[in-house]
Amino acid sequence: MTGRVCRGCGGTDIELDAARGDAVCTGCGSVLEDNIIVSEVQFVENSGGGSSAVGQFVSLDGAGKTPTLGGGFHVNLGKESRAQTLQNGRRQIHHLGNQLQLNQHCLDTAFNFFKMAVSKHLTRGRKMAHVIAACLYLVCRTEGTPHMLLDLSDLLQVNVYVLGKTFLLLARELCINAPAIDPCLYIPRFAHLLEFGEKNHEVSMTALRLLQRMKRDWMHTGRRPSGLCGAALLVAARMHDFRRTVKEVISVVKVCESTLRKRLTEFEDTPTSQLTVDEFMKIDLEEECDPPSYTAGQRKLRLKQLEQVLSKKLEEVEGEISTYQDAIENELESSRPKAKGALANLTRDGSVEDTTSSVFGEDDAEDEELEAAASHLNKDFYQEILGSGLSSSSEGAGDPDGDTRPPALESLLGPLPTAASLGISDSIRECISSQSQDPTDACGDGELDLSGIDDLEIDRYILNEAEARVKAELWMRENAEYLREQREKEARIAKEKELGIYKEHKPKKSCKRREPIQASTAGEAIEKMLEQKKISSKINYSVLRDLNSKGGGGLQEEDAQPEGRTATRKLSRRKTPARRHRADPVTGVGKRLRPMVSAQPAKKAAAGEPLPLSPSTLGAEPARPTAVLVESGPVSYHPEDDPDEDDPDEDDGEPCVSALQMMGSGDYGCDGEEDDGY
Amino acid sequence: GTTPLYPSPMTPMTPITPATPASESSGIVPQLQNIVSTVNLGCKLDLKTIALRARNAEYNPKRFAAVIMRIREPRTTALIFSSGKMVCTGAKSEEQSRLAARKYARVVQKLGFPAKFLDFKIQNMVGSCDVKFPIRLEGLVLTHQQFSSYEPELFPGLIYRMIKPRIVLLIFVSGKVVLTGAKVRAEIYEAFENIYPILKGF
Repeated sequence: MTGRVCRGCGGTDIELDAARGDAVCTGCGSVLEDNIIVSEVQFVENSGGGSSAVGQFVSLDGAGKTPTLGGGFHVNLGKESRAQTLQNGRRQIHHLGNQLQLNQHCLDTAFNFFKMAVSKHLTRGRKMAHVIAACLYLVCRTEGTPHMLLDLSDLLQVNVYVLGKTFLLLARELCINAPAIDPCLYIPRFAHLLEFGEKNHEVSMTALRLLQRMKRDWMHTGRRPSGLCGAALLVAARMHDFRRTVKEVISVVKVCESTLRKRLTEFEDTPTSQLTVDEFMKIDLEEECDPPSYTAGQRKLRLKQLEQVLSKKLEEVEGEISTYQDAIENELESSRPKAKGALANLTRDGSVEDTTSSVFGEDDAEDEELEAAASHLNKDFYQEILGSGLSSSSEGAGDPDGDTRPPALESLLGPLPTAASLGISDSIRECISSQSQDPTDACGDGELDLSGIDDLEIDRYILNEAEARVKAELWMRENAEYLREQREKEARIAKEKELGIYKEHKPKKSCKRREPIQASTAGEAIEKMLEQKKISSKINYSVLRDLNSKGGGGLQEEDAQPEGRTATRKLSRRKTPARRHRADPVTGVGKRLRPMVSAQPAKKAAAGEPLPLSPSTLGAEPARPTAVLVESGPVSYHPEDDPDEDDPDEDDGEPCVSALQMMGSGDYGCDGEEDDGY
Repeated sequence: GTTPLYPSPMTPMTPITPATPASESSGIVPQLQNIVSTVNLGCKLDLKTIALRARNAEYNPKRFAAVIMRIREPRTTALIFSSGKMVCTGAKSEEQSRLAARKYARVVQKLGFPAKFLDFKIQNMVGSCDVKFPIRLEGLVLTHQQFSSYEPELFPGLIYRMIKPRIVLLIFVSGKVVLTGAKVRAEIYEAFENIYPILKGF
């Protein structure tokens, strides 16, 4: 009694017979449903005489091996792989989870995460082990178990930051917000490992209290929870008269010794550390401290400000002193004889070096000013090294050096490659001239805008001949191995090219799945397919269009027959792709538009229609076994077919490019079965 | 990206800014620290020649397929590839980045290649600033779950991914904030103006 209404009489009394599988109206007797799908158990007889139930076991998580109706070639493959991935993942999750002693519920949740990750293609390009570990850690975080990412990385021997990256990505993609880690979660675990015996609980309580105090003092933000736990446990142990050394604690907690010490000193800085043990247990100080990084930052800022103020004051004082110094020196110079020869040479050389190094980047006028400023500021420095008479002579030496600067520049720049020697003077001139013509359009042009670039500075960055040679030698020595490998590779490629077996490894293009063409008739399907695939101009489209016309007449019959034949061939092709050597006349003569065969959608659409034609064509076939047909199309490997193939349309002398291949039958992975060539 | 399914319905963060008066008073301006830009020199380059004749270039083909060149003013580094494309990093302002890229192009020109200056584009800008008060990161991650990611085991700062403008902020407990991912300077300023009132609430 389905409660439906009968179509004939409108009555609602419908009888459903499960055994026969139909629904009948008891009023008028019309059958409403036939062949209802039933869920009864059926039995079949074994070879041994016993009977067993018909059916398969389908696993809960894996994909059922449902036969896909229709073109299931690729879909089937994909499902297999996905099922395998999930199975593999499940196995690994269980393996790893058992090592971590996670319960079944956690493992199931982790597997769910994994399934989600796989469906979002997050496993692509990543090691499976990393993704599994990330799923497990995600479960640990959501459930609040005391497992650290470090534990997982220990088990897998993988860098913890790599795991962390995968974990962060997973959490973001799955939109799962794992709650922040509370260091209090780790206390029981570490306390157990530190073996406090009976007082385990008390020590844990004390450590928890310490941690809470640390939290209020802003010590735990941004820090590894394990480090804080270690510090808290150490202090708690000491408070309860347990001798736990720093080394023991760090071996359990897995942080570095310096980290632990740092936490301890930070805690020391808080006012809570001043309390005695008893006071600490009872009293809770109200004030909260700033995080240590903040206070450190503030201290640095203050120091910097102080320094600035001090230096400013220093400058002022210096200014005063220098005026006095100037006065004194002028007096001394007038009264003192000229500086001695050796010393003067020394100073001269020194200042020459200074000027030549500075000459590359600066203008003459600027340089003088800078020199004067520099010498002014460093007056006391020079005085300390070379005596008070030096500053005056260096200043004096500065001016004559100014005159000698241009020749020095040329002598230094001589060996540098000039534009002419490089042969690019033209291009540079072009660059500069075009820039001057269109100063505003420099970026649109693509030409380099040279404004603001000092040529001399650029020249500094280019080596001269000797230097280049030295560098080349050094570089060759460094990279000898690499160069050798490159040469060998090239030699190998050249040899292979000669032999003609050189295969260039192009990046593999994944085959695109095309959408199936929706068409009502075979002709429409063929047309649409042609549009899609953009077949060559060598196909006779008028003939193609005539294919669909049916009816009497020899020509039309001929047309119909090839169509029928092709249709049946299509059918046979689909069912038996490998069986080409059947002595079946259907697959024999008349390969016009054989290329059509490869189009699956056309096949599908066409398959239905010309089915009724096939019996008639079969009858007609024997009547004309040796008809010479004007064909266009490749030959298959049937011995009876060979004699009479004439291809006025498509014979262009090329040996092996068939229309089939042009249409890319290789796309469908059916390469092996269709190498029709001459 | 995928459209996320929010586990808990939370108010979106952007409308917070206009109403509160505190947004006006953030007198802090983020400083730009680094600018990454790319430019196409428009011609194929022989990296060996460049490496062997430039003073400031290093080239280790086994490790990386580009010449690493540095100039002192503005202090920047460039990666020059054999296809003619170049990446310039380290400048502190857009103009400096452009100037530096032009200087590199000039050096390449002087070494004998017909280098041009096509499609200069700034790809990334990094800025930093200090709000001068400590920030409670745990609280921030609780209220702004969809945007924040805080993993003290991995990184001491909170990673906040702002949607509009599309900027990533690294927020530290000491009050320092690093903003990155911007293509123009205004995005950094806007992001900071957006985050400042949120941070003040913690």
